[in-house]
Amino acid sequence: MKCPMETGESVDLLVPYAARKLDAGTLAALERHLEACSACREFADGQRAVWGALDVWEAAPVSSDFDRRLSERIAERVGWWELALRPLRPLMGWRVLPVAAAACAAILGAMLLERPSGPVRPAPVTAQVEAMQPDQVEHALDDLEMISQFDRSVRADSGSPRI
Amino acid sequence: MRERVKTDMSGAAVALDYDAQLMLRVKEGDGASFGVLLEKYRSSVVHFLYRMVQNQAVAEELAQEVFLRVYRSRTSYEPTAKFTTWLFRIATHLALNSIRDGKSERLQERLDKDSPDQPVRQVSDQRPSAEQSMVYEARLAEVRQAVAALPEKQRAAVLMHKYQEMEYSQIARALSCSESAVKSLLFRAYETLRARLAHMA
Repeated sequence: MKCPMETGESVDLLVPYAARKLDAGTLAALERHLEACSACREFADGQRAVWGALDVWEAAPVSSDFDRRLSERIAERVGWWELALRPLRPLMGWRVLPVAAAACAAILGAMLLERPSGPVRPAPVTAQVEAMQPDQVEHALDDLEMISQFDRSVRADSGSPRI
Repeated sequence: MRERVKTDMSGAAVALDYDAQLMLRVKEGDGASFGVLLEKYRSSVVHFLYRMVQNQAVAEELAQEVFLRVYRSRTSYEPTAKFTTWLFRIATHLALNSIRDGKSERLQERLDKDSPDQPVRQVSDQRPSAEQSMVYEARLAEVRQAVAALPEKQRAAVLMHKYQEMEYSQIARALSCSESAVKSLLFRAYETLRARLAHMA
């Protein structure tokens, strides 16, 4: 074996050696080389010491409420109109709602076009629904379904310590 | 070089398929699969971030953002890389930004050995003596300071290599650099750490 320090393979060979990640064949060849090469031996000993020193550093356990906080943060991203649609979830099929939303938007659009011209009045609250695209509605319901599934799994896991 | 290092390719392939399949299920709207991925990687992500920023509260906040981004990216997710590579790419990006933005400012000051951010050492059957505890705390403080003193990218590379056992190619993708650049980062990082920690053998 050529000297890894001379061939620039110290990261390829001596670092995995210290981490005990070399395959048996390479390990045997390197150990034969280490018997004769003091530079590589010094590197390997130092690397082993670093590896052992880093083992001292244990990470702290994760807070037990981590999942609950994440669930809340995900839920915060859901808009008010998505929440307003939540009660409709059991009544609507996956594919029915976008069609219904598109139909509502079309009807509202037609009503607005039919309206006689006059002084500009504030848009009715229902006009906000017009801006919602069918795919947005479906996406929102997907989100709600996912959050509720995730919430169930969080509740099932609650109380177990995080390591 | 690839053949010289022990690898469990079959295990890696299975892991890739399983995590990617889970993420694809999340993409299809399966919240329970998101919960499985969270359960599987929660600790590794928090621990990686904790060692990067050396503050437990900041690490957990960043980890929340990591999983939030995974959740929000589900619709555009494509399994082009290992799930863990993608996950740690997000985590590294957030950690580096946090460090640069100064969210984990006064890092060195927090390396006080009485810091509440330090984990409580778990001793199952024997309580360490006061002297053993002091030696442990001193060694831990030395390790933390040595790692904190590394340049950010070197630090991230070492933490992914040592604690997450990621391959050079994965680290390269997570850090958006070449594999040879990762080897160079690791060489320099370990050289610095050897100079500071070799006496701990």
